[in-house]
Amino acid sequence: MNKYRQAFLVGLQGNIVYRWNFAVRGVFSLVQLAVVFILWGAVYAGTPSVGGFAFGQTLTYFTLLVVLQFFTGAFNEDYQISEEIRNGLINQFLLKPIDYFLYRLSIFFSARVVSGAIVLVPVAAALAAFHGRLALPEGGWRIAFGVPALAMSAMIQFSIAYCFGMLTFWLLEIQGFVILSMAVESILGGQLFPLDLLPPSVFRAAQLLPFYYQTYFPAAIFSGRIGRGLATEGLFIQLFWALALIALARLLWCRGLRRHTAVGG
Amino acid sequence: MPLSNYLRIWLAGARYTVVRTLMFRGDFLIWSLVEFFWMFVNVAMVAVIYSHTSSIAGWSEYEMMILMGTSLLVQRLLLGFFWTNFFEMGRNIRSGAFDFFLAQPGNLLFMVSTRKLDLDGLLNSFVAMALVAYSVHRLGLHPGAGDVLLYAVLVLAGLVIHYSILVLTSSATFWLQSAQGIEGSYFTFAEFSRLPREAFKGIASIVCVWILPVVVTTNVPARTLLHGFRLSWALWLVALAGAWFALAVFVFNRGLRRYSSASS
Repeated sequence: MNKYRQAFLVGLQGNIVYRWNFAVRGVFSLVQLAVVFILWGAVYAGTPSVGGFAFGQTLTYFTLLVVLQFFTGAFNEDYQISEEIRNGLINQFLLKPIDYFLYRLSIFFSARVVSGAIVLVPVAAALAAFHGRLALPEGGWRIAFGVPALAMSAMIQFSIAYCFGMLTFWLLEIQGFVILSMAVESILGGQLFPLDLLPPSVFRAAQLLPFYYQTYFPAAIFSGRIGRGLATEGLFIQLFWALALIALARLLWCRGLRRHTAVGG
Repeated sequence: MPLSNYLRIWLAGARYTVVRTLMFRGDFLIWSLVEFFWMFVNVAMVAVIYSHTSSIAGWSEYEMMILMGTSLLVQRLLLGFFWTNFFEMGRNIRSGAFDFFLAQPGNLLFMVSTRKLDLDGLLNSFVAMALVAYSVHRLGLHPGAGDVLLYAVLVLAGLVIHYSILVLTSSATFWLQSAQGIEGSYFTFAEFSRLPREAFKGIASIVCVWILPVVVTTNVPARTLLHGFRLSWALWLVALAGAWFALAVFVFNRGLRRYSSASS
């Protein structure tokens, strides 16, 4: 494990170099929250409840969604992995006793530590701005369920990014697929609107897909949009998707290496 | 350099884009789908919200679709004509490849802005127009040719403002070389353009409507289709377009002074 600890520490240093990226993202996440506040404020102006939830609950959901993404989101891991494959930088990992998936996972966690720490400043600003409007639900079980949901959300997001990176073994350009996937994630992950506002049958179908567990699920547990029964059921489905995507990532690595040609020293 | 030469340079760039697109047809197809799907996502959001309410800030569902379609149209035009060039500008400043543009005998901002086109963005601008046309039809509106022409002029004025904001955010790379992808922050500002003017209250109204005029860029053309032409709105939008373009040129030129080739 020591080698992955070292990879994590190197990743921390590397990500601190790009602290401005995260800081800018953090500030712009506040702008996104402002858009949410204005849009949903206008929606709620004509009605006290949308989908059974008050304005404060919806605002809490979006605030948590934005903040949690800095701790669990895979921002550009797919691009980094793709570049390492394309430029032949993965060749060094083929000669060393190091698992590429775990290596990239260590780097991913270090990036999330840095982005999570930097976002705390804009979060404090958001809390000050929305003070009195946010409505966090009570119930210790939400913490007990939310923390593992958050950890598995990170694994799912990383594994999906890793799988997209692996596509570079077969395709010259993956960015189109990555952005297409972002569009799917934004709608089925609940980033544009809480998924519980969908018609019941569509909402039920969304619960079977991995995107639901990327962002909506942990934010919905913490913000009180789903109850204990749905959260329990969701944790099992989320575990399934986390394991399935890790297995897919492993499979793509093994299959991809068969197509890989290492050139030069 | 006479204007006709700039037109010839632009046409040469457009020809190069078409040839390149024909070489990478699969790529073009994927990116067209990507653009289309992002537009679908935005329309789906409006549809879902309106399944729970009948009005947002006094705008009905299809009025909101006209606003959304106008926002998407301005953005697709921006993506089609300019986005790739500014995305690459950030990388070129960091790598020193920006020297290539400095060596060209023409207006630098023009050279930087117009080297490549994105045909997928331009193709999807027709989808945005179709969304606006469909919503106009659903509302039972019958705008005349003059209204449509005015709408087009106001959309172009909006495009100038969006272009200026893109130049401003991209020019930040001259000062913040380590802030990769800062030009993408344009999209955050652009999100305001999908909201009705009436939704902005208090300080948000001052900042988003008066100081940062992205709301105006879509609301004024959309209102022209919905409620007819108002000279004050149009003058307001055109004046803002001129002011923001002048600011963008000024900041870009100031940023250039900080560029010091590959070592920057």
